[in-house]
Amino acid sequence: MTPVESPALAAAPGTHGRSTIVGVLIFVAAAAACLIGYLALTARGPWFGGPPALHWAAADFKVTRGTGRLGPGGLLVTPDASGTVVVSLNASFRSRDYPVIAWDAANVPEGVEVGLLWNTDYKSSSMFSRPLAIEAGQVAPADLADVRDWIGTVGGLALVTRGALAEPLLLRGVTARPMTPGEILSDRLAEWFAFEPWNGASINTVTGGANYQDLPLPVILATIVLVAALIYAALARWVPGAVGAFRPAVVAAVFLAAWFVLDARWQWNLVRQVGATYAQYAGKSWRERHLAAEDGPLFAFIEKARAKLPPPVEPAARVFMVADANYFRDRGAYHLYPYNVYFDPWRNTMPPSSALHSGDYLVAYRRAGLQYDPTQERLRWEGAEPIAAELLLVDAGAALFRIR
Amino acid sequence: MSETAMSYVALVLGWAIPWLLGFAILLALDWPRPDPGASLERGGHAALRLGYGYFVGVLLLTLWMRILSVFGARFDWLTIGAPLLIVASACLGIAARRRAVSFVATRDAVTALWRPQLPRWQRIAWLLLLAWLGLRFALLAAEVAWQPLYPWDAWVQWATKARVWYELGHIVPFVRADAWLAGAAGAYFDASPNYPATVPLQQVWSSVALGHWDDSAMNWPWFLTLIALSLAIYGALRDAGVPSLGALIGTWLVSSLPLVDVHVALAGYADLMMGAVYTLAALALYRWTLHRDRCDAGIALLLALACPSIKIPGIVWALTLVPGVVVALLPNRGLKLVALGFGVAALALLALGKAETVILGYRLKLAFEPSWRSLAESYFFFANWHLLWYGAIALTLLGTRRLTKPPLAPLTMIVAAGVVFLFVVFAFTNASAWVGDYTTVNRATLHLAPLLVCLGVLLWNEMTTVTHTSVPAHATALAGTPVAADA
Repeated sequence: MTPVESPALAAAPGTHGRSTIVGVLIFVAAAAACLIGYLALTARGPWFGGPPALHWAAADFKVTRGTGRLGPGGLLVTPDASGTVVVSLNASFRSRDYPVIAWDAANVPEGVEVGLLWNTDYKSSSMFSRPLAIEAGQVAPADLADVRDWIGTVGGLALVTRGALAEPLLLRGVTARPMTPGEILSDRLAEWFAFEPWNGASINTVTGGANYQDLPLPVILATIVLVAALIYAALARWVPGAVGAFRPAVVAAVFLAAWFVLDARWQWNLVRQVGATYAQYAGKSWRERHLAAEDGPLFAFIEKARAKLPPPVEPAARVFMVADANYFRDRGAYHLYPYNVYFDPWRNTMPPSSALHSGDYLVAYRRAGLQYDPTQERLRWEGAEPIAAELLLVDAGAALFRIR
Repeated sequence: MSETAMSYVALVLGWAIPWLLGFAILLALDWPRPDPGASLERGGHAALRLGYGYFVGVLLLTLWMRILSVFGARFDWLTIGAPLLIVASACLGIAARRRAVSFVATRDAVTALWRPQLPRWQRIAWLLLLAWLGLRFALLAAEVAWQPLYPWDAWVQWATKARVWYELGHIVPFVRADAWLAGAAGAYFDASPNYPATVPLQQVWSSVALGHWDDSAMNWPWFLTLIALSLAIYGALRDAGVPSLGALIGTWLVSSLPLVDVHVALAGYADLMMGAVYTLAALALYRWTLHRDRCDAGIALLLALACPSIKIPGIVWALTLVPGVVVALLPNRGLKLVALGFGVAALALLALGKAETVILGYRLKLAFEPSWRSLAESYFFFANWHLLWYGAIALTLLGTRRLTKPPLAPLTMIVAAGVVFLFVVFAFTNASAWVGDYTTVNRATLHLAPLLVCLGVLLWNEMTTVTHTSVPAHATALAGTPVAADA
């Protein structure tokens, strides 16, 4: 008994050439069919021509409720006392030409009420509204084509949010979209090939381009593979003269081609990421790399603190690390090893004062509620008796104490 | 030569030693032994030995470091590197006496890997795919070289231990917060003091080899893990009868998985090694089911036993290999027994869930709360797995019959047990919340994904390979098991 190589991977040269051509043609045909089908379902504007998209930048916005500050990344808005934000802008466009309004907003937590307001010349005395969905911390585009009050010439738009925001709302702009097929295709390509740099969540999940995507690339590619397989099976069944008998190798090739498209996107993202990493860290020692990292100021402070601490030989000194933010607390502790470090990895707590002994050290980094009396040389924090401590080092928002 | 260059030479030498050790041991054991009925495939066997050799070497390295600590010896080149090098040399000597090491054999193996005998179009595809993989590995190597330790858990629960053990020169215990605050003598604390030592010990050895602490350079083992995993998968697929180009495609499918690549580029977590060791344990077990070679069983056992030393859930991953053994030993009744086992496990789950028992840090509960939307996004919508789950579903539907028959049945049962384990964790424990926030679902899946790809490639090969007899090649090995063994 002799196994013969898989036909997917080893075939007679003549049949293989034909299979490849058939596979490529069917893949292209299926891709075209799927994309045209998608555009037919989603496009609202004309297939040819149509008005251009209208865009307003953050500088065009007026903060009606809340407090706004224009920065390089956009408009940062904090709510007023009632937890409300209203940001508006003047506009003038025909509503029927622009069925979708897309706000480019970030830092929008789930649970916050978000709405779109607008007025038109049709009922100039009225203000219309529509709730907006939140997707991955961003405001999802609003499709207004079937909304009764989206009529006439739009004279103004506004975004309103109600609820607690963990950090200021970031508004980068708003776009009125004509939803022509060309624009939709361009949007999808932009989403799929958006650079996804490393972030805190990268180790857990890779989004694959923009954070919010109307049509994820794996979904459309899987659909293309399925459609291609069906087309090929049908042709092999009813028009064998055109494509030959059914060969699983062709379906496998289509599947691998789709996988390769995804992998090419991923490789391109990696190339851009390596460029960013190179610019930030290449040619530096490990210390210099840490100084250039996101927590560079923290690392610099811990380096100063280490210079004040005794050498970390066994038994290493015990060092307590406290900070309001989880990130600084945990990261500060990491930089302090191999000292015998204690920190609360999950909650912003202070250690019980009974656990602090003479000869221990305490590093505080951006920790509110910690008070030091230099005359008495006493350190105190909420809910604890003052303890004797010596201030060894102080920096902007950071300090090192030795417990007495 | 600059100091930096010297450090890197030392690091390369440092990692060459355990790799050589593992390779030499396998060579001395004459593993993998070729199938008597098959032609000798030097490229695949060399890849298999190289790939497995790395993991065997690393596991022995970390075992040796533990032994040194028990006896109070300080970590340095002399105490760690020298003994391993001596053992590696001895094993090479044994292999040389058997004439297993020769210039001709090495040349043939390299040629078979670099330029296998293939038709012209396949050779072009082969070279293009190698170039694509080479670019991928180069990009990941650049990230490992320049990126300081980045992901969260890496610096709250893994590298914390590495830093302390490297600077102190031996292993010291890490304890829970209450014990530390109570003044446990000589004990340290971090976010997960109970986590096993294998991964941080690799970082310690990198640092010892380098001669100083560098939390970028200490992460080269993650890159080597991917290289070794790729070699082992190529070798295992070739060994199982997959053609050269198909085996390379299988290797590409694994190493192109974005989450696998992320765990190399943002090194520091234990999940990649967990997935690699588990995959190789299952593939060694699969090889054992085909050849009944004791060496295969021994390697599978070593790697399975190593799983809990990498991550705590490794003990469950190791147990998921048991259904594969049952089906291999009892080809007639095995599937029914495994089904019965799953049923008993489900009943046990019900009983334990009612009492909200905590197992390995997961709180079991009877409430069925899978986060389907997040799960679907993670598997099908996001870029984590390319088209893996689409392909897995399609192949399962098309190849159900072959999956439950020899030779694939044991591997199928292993993967099925792994999927059930993931499902139970995601649906019936407090980990369901971590599916919703995407923090654990993909990392847990990473343990199973490489094996799933391998099973998919093997299934495809079975489905499309034309045989000249009605009995599949490997089935004879399984069917050769006496039926009396069932009794």
